[in-house]
Amino acid sequence: MRILAIETSCDETAIAILTGEGDNLKLEKSVVRSQIDLHETYGGVVPEVAAREHLQLMMPLLHRDVAHNGEGIDTIAVTAGPGLAPALRVGVETAKALAWAWQKPLVPVCHLEGHIYAPWLSGQAPEFPALALVVSGGHTELVLMTDHGKFERLGETLDDAAGEAFDKVAKMLGLGYPGGPKVAQLAIDGDAKAFDFPRAMLDSDNFVFSFAGLKTSVLYTLRKHEDQLNEYKFRADIAASFQEAVVDVLVQKTMKAVEKVKPASVILAGGVAANVALRDRLKQTCEQMEVPLFVPEFQYSMDNAAMIAVAGYYRALNGHTVEPAELQVNPNLDIV
Amino acid sequence: MNYTTTSAEQTQKIAADLAKTLKGGEFISLIGDLGAGKTTFTRGLVEALGGTVRVKSPTFTVMNEYPVNAGNIKRVVHIDFYRFTDPAELEALSLEDERRPDTIILAEWPDALPTVTWKSDIEIYFKHLGDDKREILI
Ligand SMILES: Nc1ncnc2c1ncn2[C@@H]1O[C@H](COP(=O)(O)OP(=O)(O)OP(=O)(O)O)[C@@H](O)[C@H]1O
Ligand SMILES: [Mg+2]
Repeated sequence: MRILAIETSCDETAIAILTGEGDNLKLEKSVVRSQIDLHETYGGVVPEVAAREHLQLMMPLLHRDVAHNGEGIDTIAVTAGPGLAPALRVGVETAKALAWAWQKPLVPVCHLEGHIYAPWLSGQAPEFPALALVVSGGHTELVLMTDHGKFERLGETLDDAAGEAFDKVAKMLGLGYPGGPKVAQLAIDGDAKAFDFPRAMLDSDNFVFSFAGLKTSVLYTLRKHEDQLNEYKFRADIAASFQEAVVDVLVQKTMKAVEKVKPASVILAGGVAANVALRDRLKQTCEQMEVPLFVPEFQYSMDNAAMIAVAGYYRALNGHTVEPAELQVNPNLDIV
Repeated sequence: MNYTTTSAEQTQKIAADLAKTLKGGEFISLIGDLGAGKTTFTRGLVEALGGTVRVKSPTFTVMNEYPVNAGNIKRVVHIDFYRFTDPAELEALSLEDERRPDTIILAEWPDALPTVTWKSDIEIYFKHLGDDKREILI
């Protein structure tokens, strides 16, 4: 099966073509056009509401990489949610029109499910049940994947996502956007034990997260030490201690879930998977607990359509197709 | 009105009191620094209006919608302009279409946009007074 996938849920306009045969997957093409490239003048901050940018990019991308009459494409997969409605609509309406004109099956995919499928793109196939920690700017969740297309959410954040906390702390420290990598960079020179920031929800028995309190605690600390704000060491200590608190919570919660559900593998998914401190600690801990950890390659941990293609491929194998006329975007789409 | 609060719960109580006075169709601006309590306030308001879905930060999603049930008010739209840099992006949200008698619209960081294209019926200011103490001006 040769599958065309389209992703427009966030800042990225992306398409991919993947061929699947049984469990053999071959990614032929994956193109990601970041709106950040296009709009340097925006300082890199482009919210996903820039649906118009998706509109401008979509046809040129398809025109370049896909046969006009759909020849060679067997199935079309598209991100149907979660995300912002106007942005999602560009991808979904395009996919609907193509499926209708080419008379090909159409498969809606949940963006989070796509993230969880990222390791498959590197020729790995985590064994089920797989426990996935999905961390990005908009999400922090623990999801149990019992089989292809079968997901159960164990817990999620009650307020801010982990990636959001990174961005906001970056802002407080006067670092640019996107803030995650900059905080991580600064943290290298800092002492992770310099400040004892709160680790919310660690004692609770469930798998919910909370990062608003941590954000606020960093802010209070900065206000208390206003005179040191310009000292490099102080700022590095804040970054390192903050990052340590986030990593502690994410890893310890994941390990609690490992103990409880005894998965055959653990997957780290989403944009924050690029954080080295998080990767390293999770890797160490998974080794201790003797459960294999799967971390996607960098280009597949960021938003892309290749991951949507894999998820769509397995959905299609299981017959999860819809009539083009019936598909609507769902900004709050849940993973199930 | 000017309030001083010393906890998230107290802030949510103030939001609940405001909720009682809403008629439907209002645009509310939430203005204040990072961590000042804008999202916390919204959570209190949505709960007071009978919402059962947990209010989360809309910074990355840009816009969240919560079903509520308080007389004719059936819906709360929660927006965050934090990541906005261009007023044209506001247009893409078609907010005027969201303004309905059964809907309350709350926006965090309306001041993130240099030019004001957002007209609110109620403005709420949040100010840090040190640790958990906040001043809220409605
Ligand atoms: N008196 C208070 N009122 C409101 N929140 C408080 C108070 N005291 C402590 N807090 C804590 O402060 C934090 C406020 O975070 P919240 O996300 O609501 O702020 P925000 O204004 O929405 O920030 P942002 O600009 O990042 O969106 C929460 O963790 C909350 O529990
Ligand atoms: Mg907020």
